Amino acid sequence: MIDQFALSQALDLLFSSFTPWLWVIPGLMIGLVFGSIPGLQISMAMAVFLPVTFGMDFLQAMLFLTSIFTGGAYGGGVTAILMNIPGSSSSIATAFDGYPMARQGKHNEALGLGLAASVVGAFVGYMLLMLLIQPLAAFVLKIGPLEMVVVVLWGLTLIATLNDSALSKGLLAGFFGLMLSQIGMSTTGVMRTSVGMPYLIDGLPVVPAMIGIFAASELLRLRGGTYLVRNEDQRDISFGRILKGAGETFKYPGVLVRGSLLGAVIGAIPGVGSSVANLVSYGEAKRTSKTPERFGKGAPEGVVAAESANSSSEGGSMTALLALGIPGGAATAVLLAAFSFHNIIGGPSFIRNQTDIVYSIILGNLGQVVLLAVLGLLSLRLLGLVVRVPLSYLVPSVLAMCAWGGYGITGTIAGPLTVAGFAALGWLMRRNNYPVAATVIGLLLGRMMEGELVRTMQISGGNPLRYMLERPIALVLFAVMLLVLVGAPLLKAMRRRRTTEA
Amino acid sequence: MTGKFHATHAALIGIILAVSGFITWSAVDARASMENLIVTAPVAAVIALLSVLLIASTLLKPAPEAAEDAEEETRDPGIWGDMLLLAGFGVFCYALTHIGFDLATFLFVWAGVVMSGGKGWWQPPLFAAAFTALLVYGFGSLFPYPMLTLVL
Repeated sequence: MIDQFALSQALDLLFSSFTPWLWVIPGLMIGLVFGSIPGLQISMAMAVFLPVTFGMDFLQAMLFLTSIFTGGAYGGGVTAILMNIPGSSSSIATAFDGYPMARQGKHNEALGLGLAASVVGAFVGYMLLMLLIQPLAAFVLKIGPLEMVVVVLWGLTLIATLNDSALSKGLLAGFFGLMLSQIGMSTTGVMRTSVGMPYLIDGLPVVPAMIGIFAASELLRLRGGTYLVRNEDQRDISFGRILKGAGETFKYPGVLVRGSLLGAVIGAIPGVGSSVANLVSYGEAKRTSKTPERFGKGAPEGVVAAESANSSSEGGSMTALLALGIPGGAATAVLLAAFSFHNIIGGPSFIRNQTDIVYSIILGNLGQVVLLAVLGLLSLRLLGLVVRVPLSYLVPSVLAMCAWGGYGITGTIAGPLTVAGFAALGWLMRRNNYPVAATVIGLLLGRMMEGELVRTMQISGGNPLRYMLERPIALVLFAVMLLVLVGAPLLKAMRRRRTTEA
Repeated sequence: MTGKFHATHAALIGIILAVSGFITWSAVDARASMENLIVTAPVAAVIALLSVLLIASTLLKPAPEAAEDAEEETRDPGIWGDMLLLAGFGVFCYALTHIGFDLATFLFVWAGVVMSGGKGWWQPPLFAAAFTALLVYGFGSLFPYPMLTLVL
């Protein structure tokens, strides 16, 4: 599986001089800053700093850009935990339990959990990439729209488990999100619901909507309080408690390993990636937990599941880029641009002829993961200071940043207005115990679902069931999904019945 | 006696039904083909069904005792303050590209701090000015788009 000669050459390339590592720490810090500010995205950071890589050699450029990627993925989780603002769609599920933990005064532990799960997830993702790059590439090539439909459906099933009061409210919130995803031009080029506004041609901007419905609506609810953490004794930033939280991550080895594996496999699917991986992993952790009622109220397993999956999906997303030359998302598209700047074409010939470089990139990323653990721990003390700011100052300041973030994403008035509209919707939903996360999931996955469904219908000639029988991967995925969704709860119910009878 | 349907809940379901109805009508009007309605039509049907279910279950639920009701209302006195801040936030978002990012942010943060209980007559405007400068020169410098400012 591993070419020993290329591996030794890769080690030589990486460790014979300090040059490849020169830009890794600045890259991680840039990623942490961009990831933790709502509205600044990792792909934006990578694009902004792409010209800096012109003067670097290829390996140095790759390590610099991927370190921004690695730092940003963790930075998004920090704001999700401290302020309920997921820095990107890959951190949505982190906010579900991370923020309630922070409100209970367990922000140190939550940050530690997130950091350790991220580090382990990224490590597993890159290790899998190194061991299985060729079989994974073959797997990616066999993924068609039907397989994508099954994966997206799996992500959507999380909607049914997100409800505080009534299942019907959770479902209505989720289906409303799906309906909102239908605004704008359809996959087949039909214009719907643009109400004469050119801003809506591409549909509602998802990240500003997410910022509005999660963060702005929550900030309105916090108004009138004193501090984010009510208990003064728990408001400190404790290095010891962060480390304790990091250690606690390993109390959930099943959640950690499953999240990392799910993230790496789903992350390898182009176009789906980390935004679905963290949701599927969170849903599975909740479904298989002995105490699912704790999820959404500050369960550490929830943070572990989400963070391990979104970090390991980074390694997965590199599979398609390195092995096939296909970018799976915006960040890997910037990496592909860096490839072309250095006259390198990703794909089977790149893996075959320049295996040492491929291994160097992967090993370099494993090194970055270790550096992320150190830098993350040091920066958490600074980022965690937010719990000491009085809410009377924090609420309007972060609300203003949310609006700026909306503008940063779209570059037009549509961004801030989307934030405001969704803040109002989120406020109404929270007042009446509707889960806002369900709407975001519907909005995020609805458009993806429509595109893949239409393509499946076209390829199958209108008979998707017969087509499914010809697609073994889709069949296996579908069977596993059914087994997990229906089989596992049935088995659990039967066991419970037997125990009560005995 | 039947259950009470809160005004904010009625408003939420009203918004969901109105928006969903409009999106469905617009999609059908644009092209009534299966490819265009593959998600919209089934989702609209489920939303209609769930809304009827929710309205019926709320109305058929026994009404809360008068004392409980009064207690619930006194427990939640901040609704008007929330709505005022929300309206202010909407105006601020609109004003960003019309009066300038700097002025709009300064005014919104100042008013927001006062509305959220910030004490003192000089601290809120000073904080708002410092925060605005930080956003314009820090956050704003990272934007890849032009940003309208009036003073800074």
